[in-house]
Order: sequence, then C-alpha cells, then structure tokens
Amino acid sequence: MTSLLTNPLRVGLRQERVISPQCIVIFGASGDLTHRKLVPALFELFRQRRLPSEFAILGCARRPWSDEQFRAKMAEAMADQVADHGSSWEQFAQGMFYEPVDLQQSEHLLRLGTRLDIIDRLRATRGNRTFYLSVSPEFYGSGCRALAAAGLLADAERSRLVIEKPFGRDYGSAQALNKVVQACAKESQIFRIDHYLGKETVQNILVLRFANAIFEPIWNRNYISNVQITAAETVGVEERAGYYETAGALRDMVQNHLTQILALTAMEPPGRFDAEAIRNEKAKVLQAARLANQQEPWQCCVRGQYGGGGTREKPLSGYRQEPGVNPNSTTETYVAMKLFIDNWRWQGVPFYLRTGKRLPKRLSEVVLTFREAPVHLFDAAGGAPTPNQLILRIQPDEGAEFKFEVKAPGSGMRSRPVDMGFSYDDSFGEPSDEGYVRLLADAMLGDPTLYTRSDEVEAAWRLYTPLLELIEESPWQLPVHPYEARTWGPAAADNLLAEAGLIWRRP
Amino acid sequence: MSPQLTLQAPLDVPPTEVSPYLERLWNGMLEGSSGAATFTLLVWEPSWLEQQMVRLGLIEGPIRGFDRSDVMLAARQAVIDCGLPLSTAPMDPRLAWALGQRPGDQVSADLRGQVVEGAISAHMPRRLITLAPTLDGGRPLETMVAAYCPLPDEGGTGAACGDAVVLRGGMQAIQQNLALIQPLVGEDLPCWVWWNSSLDEPLEMLEALAPIRRRLVIDTSLGNSRRCLDVLVARIEAGQAVNDLNWLRLRSWRESLAMVFDPPSRRAALAAVVQLDIDVEGDNPVKGLLLAAWIADRLGWHLIESRSIGPDAGSLADEAGIAAEFERTDGVSVRFRLMPVPMGMPKAHPGAIVGLRLICEPADRAPLCVILCSESGGCMRLESGGMASLELAEEVVPLPEENEEMEMARLLSGGHDSTNPLLAAAAPVAARLLPS
Repeated sequence: MTSLLTNPLRVGLRQERVISPQCIVIFGASGDLTHRKLVPALFELFRQRRLPSEFAILGCARRPWSDEQFRAKMAEAMADQVADHGSSWEQFAQGMFYEPVDLQQSEHLLRLGTRLDIIDRLRATRGNRTFYLSVSPEFYGSGCRALAAAGLLADAERSRLVIEKPFGRDYGSAQALNKVVQACAKESQIFRIDHYLGKETVQNILVLRFANAIFEPIWNRNYISNVQITAAETVGVEERAGYYETAGALRDMVQNHLTQILALTAMEPPGRFDAEAIRNEKAKVLQAARLANQQEPWQCCVRGQYGGGGTREKPLSGYRQEPGVNPNSTTETYVAMKLFIDNWRWQGVPFYLRTGKRLPKRLSEVVLTFREAPVHLFDAAGGAPTPNQLILRIQPDEGAEFKFEVKAPGSGMRSRPVDMGFSYDDSFGEPSDEGYVRLLADAMLGDPTLYTRSDEVEAAWRLYTPLLELIEESPWQLPVHPYEARTWGPAAADNLLAEAGLIWRRP
Repeated sequence: MSPQLTLQAPLDVPPTEVSPYLERLWNGMLEGSSGAATFTLLVWEPSWLEQQMVRLGLIEGPIRGFDRSDVMLAARQAVIDCGLPLSTAPMDPRLAWALGQRPGDQVSADLRGQVVEGAISAHMPRRLITLAPTLDGGRPLETMVAAYCPLPDEGGTGAACGDAVVLRGGMQAIQQNLALIQPLVGEDLPCWVWWNSSLDEPLEMLEALAPIRRRLVIDTSLGNSRRCLDVLVARIEAGQAVNDLNWLRLRSWRESLAMVFDPPSRRAALAAVVQLDIDVEGDNPVKGLLLAAWIADRLGWHLIESRSIGPDAGSLADEAGIAAEFERTDGVSVRFRLMPVPMGMPKAHPGAIVGLRLICEPADRAPLCVILCSESGGCMRLESGGMASLELAEEVVPLPEENEEMEMARLLSGGHDSTNPLLAAAAPVAARLLPS
C-alpha cells in the first residue's frame, strides 16, 4: 500500500494517543519475533513520537547478552531502518537494555525485579510495565506464575501481560491456561494477542458497519444469503514444519484469525466504543455460533493437504515432502467449513470459512452475498442476474467492493454486474502501520479492544471442539483430501456449498 | 465530562504553611497513598474577562476560571455594547480591557483552581497549582490547599491521587510570593505550565513560572501578534517543549488539506502550487500565518519577501492583509495572500481561519484549485475570480468547538518533552511572514 510520492502534508498529522511512561519487558528477546516484529514496531512508534521520553525496553532471554550486545543484535537485524534513521535509532537505543533471565529460575526473577527498579530510576518509567511473553507456548503458564510469584504483576494498574498465540491447543487446555493466567493477574491486565486484529482492514469492518447507517439495516438474514470468509496463502509450510505438524490449518488459522473476523462481521452493534462492550458482543456471537452439523461434523468440514505442483521449471513440493514433515502426515494444510449462528440476526445464514496453504493467491477477504431481487424484471447479459455482493478485502489491495447490477449500454433493458470499489491505496496511498505497531501501542496504553478476552478464546475453541475431537479420535471420518499446489483446494470443499446451490468466490 | 470539585473543601493555609501542610497531608492524613506518579500542572489563570463580567454583573458568579457558555454569550453582547468591531472574538484581550474601563462593583465567590475540568482530572495530575490574580492589584495573597481525585467512574480508584494548591491575590502579592512555588513543583515529575491568558501580560511572570525545563502551553491567538510569535519562536529556539493551543486548533485545517492530497493521483500537484490564499476572522493573522508556514515548510518553499497590503479590490475585507512571495524548490514563485474578513459571529478565539485556497498548475494536467471553507464562514471570496477552467476540490472543514480544557487534556495525555517538530519548523516561518 505505498505510492511513489508520499503526501508531505500528511507527515506528522496523526492524532494518536500517546503511551504513558513505562518499560516494556520482552521475554524471548533473542527470538525471531523480537527483531522481526516487536522492536521494529516499537521503533516505528518512537519515530511517530508516540512513545514518551520516559520509556525503556528490557529484553530478556536465557542467552548471556549484555545491553550493548542486545542493541547491536537489534541494529543488525534492522539494518535498513537503522541506516535510514540513524540519529533516531541512536536515541531509541539508549532506552534498550538486556537482562539474562530464565523464567523457571526464581532467583532470575528477583534479579529482574531489581533491574527494573534501576531502569525506573534511570528512565523515569514510574514502575509502569508491560510484560510480553514471546516464549514457547508451553512456558506461558509457568512464565505467568513466575512473574506473579516475583510480585511483578501485583500492581493491576501499572503492569500488563501480553501473551502471544496460540492460546491453548483445544478448549480444555485454553480453559486450563486461562485459569493459571487469571490466578496470576486480573483479566484487565491480560492481553491475548491475535495479530490479525492489528490489521487496519480488519478494524475497518467495525467502522464500515457501525459508522455508516446504510449497512446495518441490511446486515442480517433478511438480506444476506451467505457469508464467505477466506484466508488464502500461496506459501507452503516453509520453516514452520515443527510447529505446523502439531497444529494444522484449523488451529493455526481458523480458531484464531478467521474466527475473529467472523466475530467482527457477525457481532451485534456495541452500545459504545469501548473494549468491554465490543468484546461482550464478540463473545456473544461466538457463543451463538456452531458447526452446521454438530452431530456429524464431517458433513460440514473438509480438510485438505497440498501435494506437489508448479511447473517443470519451478516445481513445488508436496506437504509430505517438505523438510521436517512426517512423510505420512495427516496434518491439514487446508480446511473449509460451514457454520451457523443461532441468533435473530443470522438464523439460517450459512457462514463458510476456508483457509489453506499453497493456494493460487495470497488474500484474505469477507464476502457478503445478498439475496436475489424478488422478481427478475430484466434479462441479464450473463444469463442470470448476479446477486449483490459486498467484498471486504483484508489483504492485499486492501479495500472494499460492491457488486451490483446496472443497465447494459445499448437498446433493450438488459442488466449486467459492475463493481464499485474503494481502495486504501487510491484513497490514502500511505502504508498502514504493521499490525504489531497498533497492537503493541494498545497494550502499552492498556486498551484491550483489539485483544481477545478469556471467554472469546474459550468460545472459539469450543466452536471447533467437535472437529478437533473427531480428528483426534476418528480421523478417517474427516480425511485429508490431497490437492494440487496452487489450486483452490480439494474438490470436496466445493460440495460444501454446492448443496445450497452456491460456489466459492474465485477472487 | 462535567467539572469536578475537589475531594475536600479547600483549606485556607498561610502561604508559608503550604509546603509543610502538604507534607503532613501525604505523610499523615493520607498515609498509604503515595499519590499519582504523573505530573504537576501549574496554571496562570487570571480569567480577566470572567472577572470583569462578574464585576459588571453581566454574568453571575462564582468565578470558575474555565470556558463557560454564559461567558461566551455575554461576551458577544459586550463586544457590541463596548463598540468594538463585530469581528472581535469573545476571547480577544481587548474586550476584557474595554470592560475594565467601565464602572461596576459586583463581587462573587472565586473558585478558580478549586474546580477541575473532568477531562484534565482524568489524567490525574499529581499537583495542580493555580495562580489566580485578582482585579484588585493590591489584594493580599490567600493560599488554599485540598486533596483532589477524579471520581471512580472516570477511572480513578477512589484513593486520593493528587492535591490542588491555589494562590489567589493581587498581582503584587503573587509576584512577591513566587518563591513559594518552586518547592511545590518539585523536580521528580514532569511539570506543565499553562499560560492561560494573553501573552501581552508581563513576561517576567512567564519567565518565573516557565523556565526552559518545564513544558509550556501558550495560546498565540491571545495578544499582540508580533509578541506572540516572538515568544513562541524564542521558547522553541531555547529548547523548551512548547505547545500552542492556537496551533492545535489548526488540526482540522491541516487534516482536511492533507486529505485532499491523500489520493496518489493528486500528489504531483503539490509540487506545482502557484498561489495560496488564506482568509481569517478579524485582524489577528497568527493562525493564518501558522497555517501558511506549515504548508510552506512541508512543501519546501523559501520565503522571499512579505509585506502589508490594503484590502483586495472587490473583497469583503476592509482591513490590511499580508502578501508574501515564496520560491518553490524548482525556483518558481508562489504568491501568498492573507486577508482579514469581517465576521458577524466570530469564533471564540481571535483570527480563526475562514477559508483557504490553493492553486496548483502542474505541467501534465489541468490546473487544480483546492478550496477549504469553514463550516460557519463560507468561501464566497475565495470562490470568486475566473476559476471555471480549473479542476475544483472543495471541502468544508469541520470545526469542533472544543474548549481550552479539552485541548489541554489532549496535550497532557501526550507527555512529550520536546516541541512538535511541525510546530517547531512552522513557527519561525510564521514569524518571518508577519511584516515588521
């Protein structure tokens, strides 16, 4: 989303909330996420003048790095940004520190507490802290316990805890983890991250729905015939085989990202724009959601796994041939399913969700298809009138599109479909912030609107429990259909819609 | 947000007893509550207009020290009664001065510093110090102290979070007791100094209250234009973190103009601006100059010359404006005109923007004329004059009526220890644009 020329009048104009003085403590500071996403996001906030002068970053990991080594590692990983903004980086890096910490060692936590007190004095961060758990998921629970035992989460007003995904791997483990975390800190201190919610276009679903009076009256079962939510990737499993083999597409994409988009698309209007009002509505709609056939879940879900494909010049290996993947793996790299939401607004409207790797295009979108006009007065140029569709493009080419019928030019009264489009690129032409910039800022501001609450997470896991149990206990009932790389998934996925006379949108 | 009274009735304390009393308050009576680790807010709060209007019986007391709708209404009437030009803004210091020439002796309670605007209290100032000079210059100093806290439904915890100190008296008494303030401010928390008055007032007081290390908030719409811009520039150049409420009120104009050029298809036109016109209310040009200076700085223009001019032929204006010439980065000249426009119902602060016109003549497309108009003012003057052949982009700029306290609260939520770079770059250009 960039243009060749930036708008010089736009520079520095954003009126954003400014983060209060504080220290952000990143556990797992030697890991990928820290130098790829977290520190770059903080540096971006610094450059946007959204960080106060009283600010510090304390990196923590087991490696015995010094402050200087930590700064050098980050500078090396962010060489381009550092080269472009050298003096800003110098200033920013003065607030970066490192402390070797093993969260399982209580004496390390004591040392961490002392170090934080020193940083408070040095940087005037006033005991205000955000702890970011960017560690392996199995350490989420013990990490929280360790922080709580060291008294670092005791001040509910001045300490916050950010937890990366995945939050649990099924309903039971999510519940158990919620219990542990909530025993260590108040819910208001806990920020469960889903980086999809940091995307401008995902947030735009809320604005589009609730800032415009024209959509809400037709955003229901009376006018909408079905909703499709797609998140397609062109890449394969890449270097994530170790994690992906234990997760699959259902856990990696559907339970979190697609379900959050579903919630934002289907939720009732909140009474006011605040975190609890919005999260209440999201939780309510997820609690009302169910698989289209809970007794026979295999009837409403299709799993797939990409095989080889590509061209002779550029062959693509199949999932089972990827490094680190079990040659007999039954992990799904594609999943499609049909859901219903049992409430007044959506009763009887099918929601189709699909995601997959090695599909032909990288895109995420929500497609709301409206019911047909009750009487067809005109001949359609294409044979039959195309139902109106509102397409919310989440990535790439972020924007929205509305398809409707108009009179085809010429004599006669034939109709044909046209698109009315809105593109972030054409209208704004500036890159939007990376999702982590928004999410980190919100966590440090103590604003949990774009973070998932415990009941949302549990409702999302509960929604897919019949599928997860089926995969665990009777996987033959939900077989993994092979599909050729760079195709739109297995043919069986089309049958999910075919029974209702529908087809997947081919973007 | 509704204003909030202090948690307890303010206690009259002898001036020399203020610091010891506060120490006792926090160490004894409020033991266990360390207070908010936020900031100190030091407010110079003369409220001359409100005081004069209460004295003349034009409004009822008590004197509270922040924007009130009845003060605005009465002030608009007073402009007429005092025979001032209709374009005189209610907050124009000349109105308070004119009212000061009239006889009157009504008295009222004075609650300045004891009533905290909810938007400000939500940020939990650790200490709010209000200096409240009275019309009676010889009045002795009174000092009052109270614990203070936002109500729980606005995010407070119910525990005391700060205190409020009021120093009220004649100018002479306040000046003699300035030494009291330093120990009250402390150095462990950031301190904001809000000069909530005209910059025409004695600068010695500003110097005493706002040394460079403190974050200063001023309003360059209040006072002599040259003096306002000089203070602004001098403070920025000295390295102080300066915030100008007059600059902040330009927010919607800057945003609206930027929005016009957000679509990439229009961006190239920005490099081909040939003319900029700005209309302002009344005879205060500072806001218009700051807007022009921001545009010039962002587009890399170099100021060649600036001079005063008479009214445009055929324009509604009857007062002198400012003409200037800039040079673009490609050497082409840009013509700038700032014209005062008489208004029957001016905005609260002097010099509000009425309209802006930007004419661009890119080489490879039709000329573009951008006109921004205020909701209340209209753009008749800028719309006139042979623009039929130009592509026209016309927008109405929304002007939310936010009072000083809301603007101040917005600033307090920031907490920067340096001047906004856009203001720092624009202020010197604006000062040079103002003809000597």
